[in-house]
Amino acid sequence: MTAVVLAATIGALFALGTFLLLQRDLIRVVWGLAIISQAANVYLLAMGGIAPAVADSVPILAGHGGGAPQTADPVVQALVLTAIVIGFGMTAFALVLSYRVYEEHGTLDVTELGDRR
Amino acid sequence: MIATPVGTDSQLVIAPMLIVLAAATATLLLGRYPRARAAVSLAGGIAYAAAVAAIDWYIVLAPDAPGIATYQVGGWPAPFGITLVADGLSAFMLTMVAILGVASLVFSTRHLPGGEERSYYFPLFHFLALGVTGAFLTGDLFNLFVWFEVMLMASYVFVAYSGGPEHTRAAFWYVTLNLVGSAVFLLGVGGIYATTGTLNMADLAQRLAEPAAYGLEPAPVVGLFALLLSVFALKAGLVPFQFWIPSAYRAAPPQVTALLAGATKKVGIYAIIRLTFTVFAGAAVGVDLSLPGVTIAGDSPLPFIGAALFIMATASILVGGIGAVGRDSLEGVFAYSSIGQVGFIAMPVAIATTATAPGLRKLAIVAALVYALNHTLAKGLLFLSVGTVRSATGTSRFADLGGLAMRSPPLAISVFVASLALVGIPPLSGFFGKFLVFDAAARARAGPVLVVLLVGSLLTIAYTTRAWNRSFWGAQTDAVETASIDPVQVAVLAVLAATIVAVGVGFEPVYEFAEIAADAAVDTEGYVDAVAPQEASDLIDSSANGGDH
Repeated sequence: MTAVVLAATIGALFALGTFLLLQRDLIRVVWGLAIISQAANVYLLAMGGIAPAVADSVPILAGHGGGAPQTADPVVQALVLTAIVIGFGMTAFALVLSYRVYEEHGTLDVTELGDRR
Repeated sequence: MIATPVGTDSQLVIAPMLIVLAAATATLLLGRYPRARAAVSLAGGIAYAAAVAAIDWYIVLAPDAPGIATYQVGGWPAPFGITLVADGLSAFMLTMVAILGVASLVFSTRHLPGGEERSYYFPLFHFLALGVTGAFLTGDLFNLFVWFEVMLMASYVFVAYSGGPEHTRAAFWYVTLNLVGSAVFLLGVGGIYATTGTLNMADLAQRLAEPAAYGLEPAPVVGLFALLLSVFALKAGLVPFQFWIPSAYRAAPPQVTALLAGATKKVGIYAIIRLTFTVFAGAAVGVDLSLPGVTIAGDSPLPFIGAALFIMATASILVGGIGAVGRDSLEGVFAYSSIGQVGFIAMPVAIATTATAPGLRKLAIVAALVYALNHTLAKGLLFLSVGTVRSATGTSRFADLGGLAMRSPPLAISVFVASLALVGIPPLSGFFGKFLVFDAAARARAGPVLVVLLVGSLLTIAYTTRAWNRSFWGAQTDAVETASIDPVQVAVLAVLAATIVAVGVGFEPVYEFAEIAADAAVDTEGYVDAVAPQEASDLIDSSANGGDH
């Protein structure tokens, strides 16, 4: 069940991010980038596997002081932490750039930024 | 500073990274002292080149060299920590970057574009070099992602560096595309981790070779690798991922564009070669794909990768060549030419993936590497010459140029040599690059490939001739007559031109180095042995510590 919900969430996030990315407004494009990178993070987290929802997999219920059960893969959490930090920096940079585009072009509409040649 | 002989576990491996990191930090701190900043930056570049030369000699080329050396960061054994690996392939790539990097740095000390943003030029330059170096040395898939990001972050700022509406727009495009690329990279990496349970390249190669022994179901890896391939193709600028190149290359300062074309593109190529041949070549993963007209089936994912690379390389050669013929400025021609030339590098890689005979596979990889070296030298020189022309005349549009050959013969000769190297005239480095690529295609009995290569070569002749005629021949325009050409910049160009000639004339050692690099690329066993990934059970330490990354 959890797996289905997670998969659906990740899929919805990617769809939403792609939709926003294809908009004409630059701020929406930045939102799209942020959502896509977050979707990738959720996906990475999901790749660590999902512990079964039973009492023995919850550390506080499984035992006091003894060995706690392993509920999730710590490696993917370390990866996600790195990816979040990188994504944060990139999103901030993209926002700054879109502000500069607004200053220099006076518009945030992608189609009005002139031809690309 | 370096103890000899070097073992297979050597701190020398991390030296170039530490040097550029130190140089980046120092130049950042020296922001208010331009002269000191330039001096420290140059010293850092030279120290970097020295460290790379030391890796070349002590690890790869010396008679008693181990051929491959590793450095386990933080003392964590593979695959739990991050492993840095320097072998022939990494060393070959690093050498290219070091040559071009030093040339570009010397060039930059003479003329920096821009106003107050100049104080960030050198730190960014070194961070760019750090990202490239890290990507060449890392033996860990997620770490490769991190170095890609380091490299990209610096290049984003460089594309936006000069200010101006055009450049900001180019930068926004570039950032958007690469952020999507990063997300796709994460998808590939996460999927591979979930499928195989490891991110260490050596461990990955080992597990994929015997999936049953590790209880893996490796089929998804082929699709996930295709995701990674698209990201690497984006970095290398292969069609259909090429559209960011012309605007980004025009926007960045020319001396940085030289590095973007000469170094960061090669990171994409390197990643394709490393992952395809070192990691996935031995994978026992069946592929059964039938498209209309083509059926790809077998025990290895390589033919599938090869088919994708063939299409991308062919399209790159044609799109780049045709696009370059019609441009109206020097950097426009060279930017499109980069797309075509990367196609020429990817084509032998594609031939190598489909080659069944080990000899042909090696020959094709050697061809790709030699061609990459030629492209780095020649295109680096050409983009630097754009910098010279632009700082001297204030323009690089053909309409405003003409008669540069009379104005500065040394500049003209250097550009002429680089253009001939692109075309592939003996005895320059380009001749051997082209010759080996054609040789590999002929031995693979790939007729259509030969036709594409021939057309691409003809297009190369067309656009280099046109660029030369429009800007170097003819009557001198006003902009050219009043130009004051910087002698040091021209000297840098002349040295690079001499290097192109030297590589061509003394090709034997270069070929041997490329051969060692190709051997390293296909030697999965040696790679795995050097990294020596351990089993979790060897390290009884409760659960595996997630202390990496």
